[in-house]
Amino acid sequence: MLLKIAWRNIWRNTTRSVVVIIAIALGLWAGVFASAFVQGMMKQKIDSVIAKEMSDFQFHQPGFTDEFLAKLFIENGEEIRLEVAQEENVVHSTGRLISMGMIGSSRKNGGIKIVGVVPDDEAKVTKLNEAVIDGEYFEGIKRNPVLISQKVADKYKVKVRSKVVLTIQDVEGEIIAGAFRVVGIYKTDNGMFDEMNIYVRQSDIRKMLKIDEGLHEIAVLLNDHDFAEPLATKYQEKYSELEVKPWLDLATGMRMMVDMVGVYIYYIVGIILVALLFSILNTMLMAVLERVKEIGMLMAVGMTKGKVFFMIMLETVMLTLIGGPLGLLISWAFVSYFGTNGIDLGGAYTEVGFASIIYPYLDNKSYLEVTYMVVIMAVLAAIYPAIKALSLKPVEAIRKI
Amino acid sequence: MSKYVIECSNVSKTYEGVVPVHAVKNVSLEIEDDEFTAIIGPSGSGKTTLLNMIGGLDRPTSGSIKVNGHELAGLSDNDLIDFRLKHIGFVFQSYNLIPVLTAKENTEFIMLLQKIEKSKRDARVEQLLTEVGLQDKMNSRPSQLSGGQQQRVAVARALASKPDFVLADEPTANLDSHSTANLLDIMARLNKEEGITFVFSTHDQRVIDRARRVITLVDGEIASDERR
Repeated sequence: MLLKIAWRNIWRNTTRSVVVIIAIALGLWAGVFASAFVQGMMKQKIDSVIAKEMSDFQFHQPGFTDEFLAKLFIENGEEIRLEVAQEENVVHSTGRLISMGMIGSSRKNGGIKIVGVVPDDEAKVTKLNEAVIDGEYFEGIKRNPVLISQKVADKYKVKVRSKVVLTIQDVEGEIIAGAFRVVGIYKTDNGMFDEMNIYVRQSDIRKMLKIDEGLHEIAVLLNDHDFAEPLATKYQEKYSELEVKPWLDLATGMRMMVDMVGVYIYYIVGIILVALLFSILNTMLMAVLERVKEIGMLMAVGMTKGKVFFMIMLETVMLTLIGGPLGLLISWAFVSYFGTNGIDLGGAYTEVGFASIIYPYLDNKSYLEVTYMVVIMAVLAAIYPAIKALSLKPVEAIRKI
Repeated sequence: MSKYVIECSNVSKTYEGVVPVHAVKNVSLEIEDDEFTAIIGPSGSGKTTLLNMIGGLDRPTSGSIKVNGHELAGLSDNDLIDFRLKHIGFVFQSYNLIPVLTAKENTEFIMLLQKIEKSKRDARVEQLLTEVGLQDKMNSRPSQLSGGQQQRVAVARALASKPDFVLADEPTANLDSHSTANLLDIMARLNKEEGITFVFSTHDQRVIDRARRVITLVDGEIASDERR
């Protein structure tokens, strides 16, 4: 009977109940969509960092990533790479030689990170070949080809087949310069990354660096990012003289950013839920105050305070059970649509390393978390009106008759 | 077991304030089973206050009230709610039915609180609504009933729990003559045929005329107690 009374009570004032249901649905939608937007942005960033920059984990000599000194190479790098490649979860791996040097065109000179790659391996690990927007991926120019980004091309006023001079320090600290020809131009979603990196064949830079064998960097791509930390830990223990780090520790500030975004999502959802709390509280309080006489009568004829409390709570829970699924459905529709079609931010965040088109994404766990939070908030919002109902004295209510 | 359904001994009620109001002063009275009693008096004479105290809705400042031998003063608020549910039926001036429930559900509601099984509930609801002449309005909501019909549902609801007595506060105040006569007929018949004790507060002469005992309150004190 309490269920029946509560259900019919919520439809006594249809407009008010519909407003609360819409508030709950919109609150849930806003919470879910904001979370999905931020989570999607972060997921793209992480996927991009892993796929195009860091891979899942990397090997270096300790201190190499601080100054990129040529002498800090891993002598048995190729041997280690082949060993790691045997791991069940490893999809591909590649070795790199890296040097911080200068690039010079006929118009301009500047600092740049020169990455010596094995083109076929690099294509498998970072899909660098797919980012080429002009020219070819290490094809068509036999001697000293260099792949540069659109940003570098624009900055140094060069194009495909233009000549550039790369200057680096070899293992002995000698300055070596070499003439390279632009074989292709690439573009990724990460403007910062594009500005900093150019690619040459490993064999070409190996000669300049005077490193006969060995690698500066071994990058490993896994079939599941969750294995990055355990595998990195495993190989760090085995090769304690090296630095083996998962992507989260390799990308500067990435761990902090992931943590910060997690907190940011909670803040957004929290603010939305607090607004929702006051909306429900206000409505339920009105519903209780309008029914002072009736609630007083219920207590007069023998309805316990517990049952009155339960009835008010039940009304809120019912409103939430209607608004919640509705909100989830709308959220799911929005996240699905924009998750496929994307939201074009017009390149506003590419300079800080985020994609220009964001594809909202939310895992099932987060859907559940937001739903739990909305339900808990709705129940919390009903507590005060329910307590208010309990504070009524039947005799006072009857005097109002 | 006391022979009285209600026993009031030196009951007083004072509302504290800048000027304390002595609503009821040293009232002592006993009401026996099967009585059909009207408590009358002018506005402010303390009728409703006395009725509320007898019904366990309000507590006396001093004195003792016993219902079927149970002293109400010793009961906590929650125990009082439970006591009211089991022992007292209420009929209010403004009917106070639950607007979202039908006549049948309003009557059944009290029995649900008492956890009475469905078959017994259904039988009693039908019996009660038939007794008050609303067997054809069982599925009507209060908004679909006239004032008199609503008050008859309220009587059926008050009787649903098989209470020791029914307290009715100005039950005819909002009813027209026809509805009043009809309601009084029903209550008088229930009193006579089923031995249900009724205690009214009223200043409606039509009710006073039908009462078998009339207690008159003036300024919170019993001015007269007349049995007919």
